[in-house]
Amino acid sequence: MERVSSAPLLHVEHLTLRFGGVTALTDVSFTVQPGELFAIIGPNGAGKTSIFNCLNGVYRPQEGSISLGTTRITGRSPVAIASLGIARTFQNLALFSNLTVLDNLMLGRHHRMRTSLLTGALWWGPAKREELKERRHCEDIIELLELEPYRFLPVAMLPYGVRKRVEVARALAMEPTLLLLDEPAAGMNLEETEDMARYIREINEELQVAMLLVEHDMHFVMDLAHRVMAMDFGRVLAIGTPEEVRLHPAVIDAYLGVTA
Amino acid sequence: MTARWRNTRLTTEYADDLKLFRSRLAQSGAALLVLAWLVLPLLLGEYWSTILVYAGIASIGAIGLNLLTGYTGQVSMGHAVFYGIGAYSAAVFAGRWGLPFPLWLIAAAVAGGVVGGLVGPFALRLRGSYLVIVSLGLLVLGTHVFENWSSVTGGLTGTTVQAPVALGPVDVGKLSIGSARLSRNQGWVYFTWAMVAILGLAARNIAKSRPGRALQAIRDRDLAAEVIGVSLVHYKVGAFVVSSGYAACAGAMYASYARYVSPLDFSLLLSIQFIAMIVVGGIGTIHGSILGAVLLTILPRAIEAVSGSLPFVSANGTGGGLTVQSLNQALFGLLIIGFLLFEPLGLAEVWRRLSRYFKAWPFSY
Repeated sequence: MERVSSAPLLHVEHLTLRFGGVTALTDVSFTVQPGELFAIIGPNGAGKTSIFNCLNGVYRPQEGSISLGTTRITGRSPVAIASLGIARTFQNLALFSNLTVLDNLMLGRHHRMRTSLLTGALWWGPAKREELKERRHCEDIIELLELEPYRFLPVAMLPYGVRKRVEVARALAMEPTLLLLDEPAAGMNLEETEDMARYIREINEELQVAMLLVEHDMHFVMDLAHRVMAMDFGRVLAIGTPEEVRLHPAVIDAYLGVTA
Repeated sequence: MTARWRNTRLTTEYADDLKLFRSRLAQSGAALLVLAWLVLPLLLGEYWSTILVYAGIASIGAIGLNLLTGYTGQVSMGHAVFYGIGAYSAAVFAGRWGLPFPLWLIAAAVAGGVVGGLVGPFALRLRGSYLVIVSLGLLVLGTHVFENWSSVTGGLTGTTVQAPVALGPVDVGKLSIGSARLSRNQGWVYFTWAMVAILGLAARNIAKSRPGRALQAIRDRDLAAEVIGVSLVHYKVGAFVVSSGYAACAGAMYASYARYVSPLDFSLLLSIQFIAMIVVGGIGTIHGSILGAVLLTILPRAIEAVSGSLPFVSANGTGGGLTVQSLNQALFGLLIIGFLLFEPLGLAEVWRRLSRYFKAWPFSY
């Protein structure tokens, strides 16, 4: 799919991240357009998740800058970045397991809500109104991701595939402009993977949410992504359409070993 | 902590899901409780009225601790300190400065909340057993201040407290129905349990709205909570402020009722009792805090009542065997261990199972 290159939504420039003597990311630069589905691929340890952690403020890169729209977000706290519109899911699930699916989604609305400890204690009035308004919003997402049967079940009781979906739903409840998905299909069977691909496409096309996707499943990535960035040892190997990246010599080397 | 979910039920409005008493059964249960509140003080003698008052005061403290420990996951051994701060605040604000009734109680709760807010930041970088140890330090510090700041606390000998619960013509100590005078204890049962209802409801409201979800998110997975925009600083400190405010309110009521307090009332044992109450009653539930507080307040009296017929127990330990008090302490320990092993969600979970059973009766599933 050809995209008119307008002002990029996400602009990552010369990102370098070190832990002591280990360099996790070296001079990584890329852009994501509004509404684009951008995938990052690479072997284990290539630095995919490190990029995510830089993007949402968990890690602070030593060099380089990250901008969302015109706002520079490098060095901001995770809470601040969340309210600017970047939501993420985690590789090994970070749901609130004693809370129900609905409560997990409502927590996605947290930064858009106002009820404090004091007004919450009073309940009748603004707190209740806000609760009902946000509930309606969450129900739309529950419907989109077909989570209706699990609404009132605590996440700890749900099977793995459904939990993965709940985490996407929670991230979506944040109404992000950029959604970071860290291996949304990891550990899933074929059917669940296909379902997840369908949900991701629906979210991207219906809600026009730009997505940054980290995934190991090549078919999954090549089918879904508009553009792909391949990485190895913290460096960018290639950026381009799925087809271009698949045929890029450096990518073939990294995946299949150096050609003779 | 595992499954705790609402029963499947049919509703047509989102607001129905937010009601306090959702089923007909729960509504009639609430009505029964109000009836019991009205009638029980008239039927019970002085002895049991006193116990009910202490159970109510303990409930308020336990609700506070449950907000901190059960909902936010911050285990604290310092709860007795905040309870003590409330008690001495009542002694000073009402007894010395002569503040009238609602003011001294509110001021005492605020005083506890402020100190809680100062301690809260320590919890930001500490978790689990590390926080327990720091809060133990707070307890030692608190006890030291209570024992040595004689001008305020009266030191080891303690201090008398003059903090009457009286607003205009209504004095809780001297209520009357028609021409019949109620005793001080009876009046206090009405007052204490009205306070439990108000503060319990406020805590329940916090728990089911935005701040309560934030607290539980921090308990379950603090990194993820931060990433979705829950401020750890705000809510961890906030949990300490609210929890300490509840403890101080309970402490102030205790001082007002007992009319005399000493540092011995606010020892490590009290902190452990509060932890036992929420473990036995149900971690992360408001009604569980009340169940646990009532049970653990009644238990020692029940043991006292039957101690005469137990062969190895005597009132003062003469003639070998256990004293009533040491048997109590041993039982508290056993209860905590027993509940943690066999019923980690406490009485609240037993209650939920029972009510589900009767809802589905005669079908077992």
